[in-house]
Amino acid sequence: MLKRYLSGLLLVGALTCCAQLAAEEVAVVDGRGTTVRLPQPAQRIVSMAPHLTEQLFAVGAGGQIVATVDYSDYPPAALSIPRIGSNNAISYESIVGLAPDLVLAWQSGNGGEMIARLESLGLTVFVDVPDSLAAIGATLGKLGRLAGTEREAERVQLQYQSKLAELRRLYSRQRPQSVFYQVWDDPLLTLNGEHVISEVIRLCGGRNVFASALPLVPKLSVESVIAANPQVIIASGEEHQRRAWLKDWQTWPMLDAVKSQRLYFVPASLLQRHSPRILEGAELLCRQLQAEHHSGPQPGFRAGGE
Amino acid sequence: MSRCPRPIFFSLVFTGLALAMLSGVLLGPVAIPLTALLEAVATSFAATPASVDPELQRQLLILSAIRLPRMLLAALVGACLALCGAAMQGLFRNPLADPTLIGVSAGASLGASLVIVLAPALLGSGAMGGVLAATLSLSLMVVGAFVGGCLAVLLVYRLATAPGVGAPGSTSIATMLLAGIAISALAGAGNSLLSFYADNEMLRRISLWQMGRLDGADWPRVGLATAVLSLLLVGLLGQGRALNALLLGESQARYLGIEVEHLKRRVILLTALGVGVTVAVAGSIVFVGLVVPHMVRLVIGPDHRFLLPASTLLGAALLVVADVLSRLVVAPAELPVGVVTALLGVPFFFSLLVRQRNGGV
Repeated sequence: MLKRYLSGLLLVGALTCCAQLAAEEVAVVDGRGTTVRLPQPAQRIVSMAPHLTEQLFAVGAGGQIVATVDYSDYPPAALSIPRIGSNNAISYESIVGLAPDLVLAWQSGNGGEMIARLESLGLTVFVDVPDSLAAIGATLGKLGRLAGTEREAERVQLQYQSKLAELRRLYSRQRPQSVFYQVWDDPLLTLNGEHVISEVIRLCGGRNVFASALPLVPKLSVESVIAANPQVIIASGEEHQRRAWLKDWQTWPMLDAVKSQRLYFVPASLLQRHSPRILEGAELLCRQLQAEHHSGPQPGFRAGGE
Repeated sequence: MSRCPRPIFFSLVFTGLALAMLSGVLLGPVAIPLTALLEAVATSFAATPASVDPELQRQLLILSAIRLPRMLLAALVGACLALCGAAMQGLFRNPLADPTLIGVSAGASLGASLVIVLAPALLGSGAMGGVLAATLSLSLMVVGAFVGGCLAVLLVYRLATAPGVGAPGSTSIATMLLAGIAISALAGAGNSLLSFYADNEMLRRISLWQMGRLDGADWPRVGLATAVLSLLLVGLLGQGRALNALLLGESQARYLGIEVEHLKRRVILLTALGVGVTVAVAGSIVFVGLVVPHMVRLVIGPDHRFLLPASTLLGAALLVVADVLSRLVVAPAELPVGVVTALLGVPFFFSLLVRQRNGGV
């Protein structure tokens, strides 16, 4: 009798113990298709890319970041997190010394060699591959599960997805316009169709004129822009570069975009980070792309002297 | 010039190397006390890591998986470069013959880039995973770097010692350096061209050539560098007397019973292998092959029997120190070690150029 009672007690104990374990263990499939397992939600996270820092703050796990890399400047709270290098040169020793339970890496920014090295040092690495707008939303949910902030993450993810769906509904069926996206002015850089910004342009009813270029970030001459003759030019960069970059295009009046003064600017921080803010940038870009298309040129955008 | 007696110099260099290696293991962005190091040694003999507390375990991991292979790789690469530099200077009979200056590193980097870009096509991309693939691609890179480096030395040597170029019995400095510039330009253009066909991962490796760095140090690389340095030591240290004879000119060396062609082939092949392996494991690290043999010559004179081993030791010590600096200057971030050696080496190179122009080195 006592024996049965005891074994029953043991069984109950074992069951509750396992149930508790199962509840706390976290498993998430990362961008490479590898399953990342944690015995419990991560409390000490190293973020190896500015956009991953931003995503962690977005899902309410910013306080769990113990170290990050240069350029992690958003939200402002991220500025006070200790730095362990830049996205392609880090101190492995400093990372191991911090004893993180999770490292977030960015496949194309950090590189496979760095990721393999971190894993060989016994660290758990989640690899982000933000190659589409949908993937950026999915990462939000995954980071929430890894950091134990599922509820907040689900809310943010839903918000992101509904905003994306709304932009798609509003803009993506417009008649496509040809767009040149200017990453940098000297050298003149753009992005090819594999980059997620090309997807943003499609979303807004545009067509990236250099989508089929071979490198991800093609270096161009002005002549190839003239040959492609885009209907719209969108400059990125920082706010203070805006005037100069857009003014430079006035040198080439044969461009359709210059004739109709369809030269716009979207801050790089809104589009070139793979964080939820990309939809803010997308919304800005969509409005610019579509507003005048229907209502005709607005005098405010003209560069004067008519 | 008053010269330091050789035994004293060698014991100083040995002490310096030992201190450098100790600092390479002890210094880093994470503070690890000496007691932890001793405990690490003790536990590695006891072999019961399960009982150690997590803090100590992390320190052990940092020591055994990061600092130790890195310090050893720095020492091996430095030794390799300095030995190759000294041997090459003997072959060219010119103290400016540095692997990076005469284009050997550039040739090696182009060879390695070609392998990086072409290897997936040759091997079938990503069929193998993990350590095997990594080791195989590393060895292929060494082969590519070796072939590229070999072609570069041969080309420069042929051009610089062609009859009618420079003073009889010596190599033309101008031709040698100009050929180096041409090969570096060719390699730069080749690397840029290849970068259009490279994916992100390949680009990352190709960009390594521009500024060498040691943060990829791991045990397979240390093993490879050890093997190649051993080969170099066996093949070159015994050639001191022959290289001394060669200083008198090829025909003089022949009269003295040196098999000149055999010696030249040996030095060219081995230095190309040595430079090739350093390029494959750490990228181009400049000026070590120039500065170190020079410092040694200033102190104990140009006798190759002592110059070669002393350069090997001093090169190892110098690169370990440069690497420690590269880790500490902007800690916890890191500088590429090539930046440190270039900053140390460039002023040295200019002073050499001035002295050459004034007639004596």
